[in-house]
Amino acid sequence: MFKNYLKIAWRNLTKNKGYSIINIGGLALGLTVTILIGLWIFDETTYNTNFKNHGHIAQILVNKTNNGETRTRFTLPYPLADELRNTYAGDFEHVVMGSFPGDNILSVEEKNLNEYGAFMEKDALRMFSLHMLKGNHDALNDPNSIVISESTAKAFFGNEDPMGKTMKINNDRNVTVKGVFEELPTNADIFDALRAFTESEKLQFIAPWDLYVASNDWVKTARDRKLWDNNSYQVYVQISDRSSMHAVNDKIKNILYDHVPEGSKQSDPKIFLHPMKDWHLKSSFKNGVSVGGAIQYVRMFGIIGIFVLLLACINFMNLSTARAQKRAKEVGIRKTVGSNKNQLVGQFMFESFVVTLSAFVLAIVLVALLLPLFNQLADKQIVLPFFNPIFWSIGLGLVLATSIMAGSYPALYLSSFRPMKVLKGSLLTGTSAMSFRKALVIIQFTVSIILVVGTVVVNRQIQHTKNQPIGYDKSELIMVEKNTEDFEGKYNSLREALKKTGVVAEMAESSSPLTEIWHSNGGYEWEGKDPSFMTNINSNYVSHDFGKTVGWEMAQGRDFSRDFASDSTAYILNEAAVEYMNLQDPIGKTIRWSDGEHKVIGVVKNLITESPFEPVKQCIYTIRYDETNLINLKLAPSKSPTESLAQIETVFQKFAPSVPFEYQFVDAAFGNKFKTEERMRKLSGIFSFLALFISCLGLFGLATFMAEQRTKEIGIRKVLGASISSLFKMLSKDFAVLILVSGVIAIPVAYYFMEQWLQNYTYRIAIPLWVFGAAILGVLLVAIFTISFQAIRAAKQNPVESLRTE
Amino acid sequence: MLLQLNNIFKWVNSGGQRVFLLKDINLEVEEGEFISIMGPSGSGKSTLLNVIGMLDAFDEGEYNFMDESVHTLKEKHRANLYKQYIGFVFQAYHLIDELTVYENLEMPLLYKNMKSSERKAVVADMLDRFNIVGKKDLFPTQLSGGQQQLVGVARALIGKPKLILADEPTGNLNSQQGEEIMEIFKQLNSEGVTVIQVTHSEKNAGYGSRIINLLDGRKIEG
Repeated sequence: MFKNYLKIAWRNLTKNKGYSIINIGGLALGLTVTILIGLWIFDETTYNTNFKNHGHIAQILVNKTNNGETRTRFTLPYPLADELRNTYAGDFEHVVMGSFPGDNILSVEEKNLNEYGAFMEKDALRMFSLHMLKGNHDALNDPNSIVISESTAKAFFGNEDPMGKTMKINNDRNVTVKGVFEELPTNADIFDALRAFTESEKLQFIAPWDLYVASNDWVKTARDRKLWDNNSYQVYVQISDRSSMHAVNDKIKNILYDHVPEGSKQSDPKIFLHPMKDWHLKSSFKNGVSVGGAIQYVRMFGIIGIFVLLLACINFMNLSTARAQKRAKEVGIRKTVGSNKNQLVGQFMFESFVVTLSAFVLAIVLVALLLPLFNQLADKQIVLPFFNPIFWSIGLGLVLATSIMAGSYPALYLSSFRPMKVLKGSLLTGTSAMSFRKALVIIQFTVSIILVVGTVVVNRQIQHTKNQPIGYDKSELIMVEKNTEDFEGKYNSLREALKKTGVVAEMAESSSPLTEIWHSNGGYEWEGKDPSFMTNINSNYVSHDFGKTVGWEMAQGRDFSRDFASDSTAYILNEAAVEYMNLQDPIGKTIRWSDGEHKVIGVVKNLITESPFEPVKQCIYTIRYDETNLINLKLAPSKSPTESLAQIETVFQKFAPSVPFEYQFVDAAFGNKFKTEERMRKLSGIFSFLALFISCLGLFGLATFMAEQRTKEIGIRKVLGASISSLFKMLSKDFAVLILVSGVIAIPVAYYFMEQWLQNYTYRIAIPLWVFGAAILGVLLVAIFTISFQAIRAAKQNPVESLRTE
Repeated sequence: MLLQLNNIFKWVNSGGQRVFLLKDINLEVEEGEFISIMGPSGSGKSTLLNVIGMLDAFDEGEYNFMDESVHTLKEKHRANLYKQYIGFVFQAYHLIDELTVYENLEMPLLYKNMKSSERKAVVADMLDRFNIVGKKDLFPTQLSGGQQQLVGVARALIGKPKLILADEPTGNLNSQQGEEIMEIFKQLNSEGVTVIQVTHSEKNAGYGSRIINLLDGRKIEG
């Protein structure tokens, strides 16, 4: 019996090749999308699950409320860790303080590399259960030690044993390699995504906390004087096995409030645990409450995946029921020779399974081929788990679910035919089956139109944001992180040397890169300020030449100038700051801060340094040569960048021989701000294309069938004098109506979803109405194009022939 | 007695009017009979045959088949009944185009859950009997009409039915092919199989032992 089913399934597939290609191809595309999205979702949701204790690890965050606005931060005061360790010992397995992770220079003899890592207390290795290839979890006990990743060990020592070798950190301290850990998997990070302004790199080293204290006086001061109001440290904890995040949260929430000096209590600091499982997917906070984060995309693409598969299943249903007449005779015969309905249902379900299985095999091939491209697009390193039985059993489950979803309706429909009717050939497609098929087509095109509208809206939102003025000229601008003390006091000579090469137009230093803000301060006072207003203003410490280098635009007043000695204490505000402080005539006003009085000499137009989707925050620019972290270079135009960079590197090597010359184009760094959105644009573009393509495949099949069915009608009409164009119109009209109906359904749904998405952005577009019209029209044209082959063929047929077949 | 129809009515409602397809049909068929149903187009011949074959329901009356009252049986039961005792032969042969001769013959046995080895023997026997061994791997479309009907008859016989129902079995065949088929029916009948055929041809009707004439759904005598 089974063999018989298999035979007939196979022969039906090979006999109707076009139909089979559409059916299997469509399903394979749908399955490919589903598998790719499934792999991606698996990767996203298993983030950090490689850490043995991931269920108990958390980073401590703090909510602070100023002027009614609550912001969530990860920087905490030094004494907090000790307080947790000592007073709440029972609740924590480990409490680990860490520095801000970032690039540090590691050197062995002449070799210097920028490596990403952090200084952490010694329990870190045990807490994160890093897999040590060499050494053990006690490796950080010695304050002059370091543990490095496998790849870093390889980069410095090749095949030699790195253990016991000496390295230098930031050209400052010598440390001994005491351990090598296995590279973290790509979907793991020991740092909370909350702090990642830019996407974080892979962890390459951990150095002992004590070394950090020893090499930074301000840390030592914070430790020795137990400063509760100096927030510069991160605290990671592993709660003990018997406590819960919830219970611990309740206990610790007020610790900070209880210890900070009176003046800081105003912001009502509340600390809480941010569990490791949420670091990646739920790291976005608004007004102190978690508002999701990457999880949104997981959900969205999950839905898209299911819908694309549904579209493919609908194709299958549509084509199978449309072809019912061809199979009807077989149903009749089988019934007369003794098959019962269940056996027929079984047979057709089995056929659907065969089709789905073939599609799945094809889909696996497609996934394997497309994965590199997909990885590039999604910024992932997913591999197809070929040898994982779980993957294959889920795959089989997917095949079963799909074949049931796609096959059950046709199976029930076909097997319910009454044998005598179909054998007499009196079966005409029932109107109910007809309207069911129409409903399916409407679903398909509704989804397609929604996706097309979504793609257009995402596109426009990105364009809109990119088109706003950013307040400076990011072209041919590069930034170099200083990282070491080697450049201290060499500003003028470096600038002169660089300018002398002719490839650098201007140079300036700043404390924050142009695409981020690293400092903000409170405690500003000015005339007319409401005493209860708690200030918080970004600061960027710059050199005299900053404005000229980045090409900012003065809105009022003047730029910093070496001609005025008093400029060393002067302030330049951005327009947002003027508004924030509510200054009527800002030039010449005095602003007081803890270090004295400052005169406002100029106002610049807002520079977009943080999220381009949010309003620019208030910022003060002031001259501080000793606080700068970056060197910004404006390249001379009309020089080849490669050549220019080579010359610049030579100059840098002269000034700081042991510092690797690493730079970043501001343009590229700015572009990174759109990474998530750009990815979304690409993916939604691809998915809408696929959805439309699959829908059109189905439409093509359906049109073929309809043209076939109406052969007689068309013949009669032609005999009676209908022209080809009028026939074409008649055949296309039905489909056009379906697509217009889809459009009407799609508009409110698409509008709702895109409004929801746009809510994520303060700077957002209003969805223009033409988008809907354009999407519907576009889809309509594609659809008509699809059916036109069949329609024209049918219309051109010789009526004598088509009538003879009756 | 093989089967008995008592006061069978069948109708359809068309535009508020009840149109009778079968009207008060009474019929008794003994085992071993060869009956021909005749009548003009639309007189209800095929409908009657389908009712006898349990492929079509009726609206009123009683139908007993081998001491089972068909009108009270559930569909599944009914299917088992005709699966076991009745074989069908159609004017348009109704072979499955995607299956070979061999597979077409094998299909009814599959639905009877016959074991593979037994199936092979039975099919081989039938191929031999109808002299179509050489055609067993061909598809229906590769055969002539007569050959296709031969396969159709063989398929009807393969389940060893007591009753063969044939709806104009020679209607699509030329006279020589038609004669061959009728000879086969005659042969079968002599072996004890009951045959009921619908036919337009007096000549074919002549093969039978009894003729039933229908007009407008009614049995007419003579």
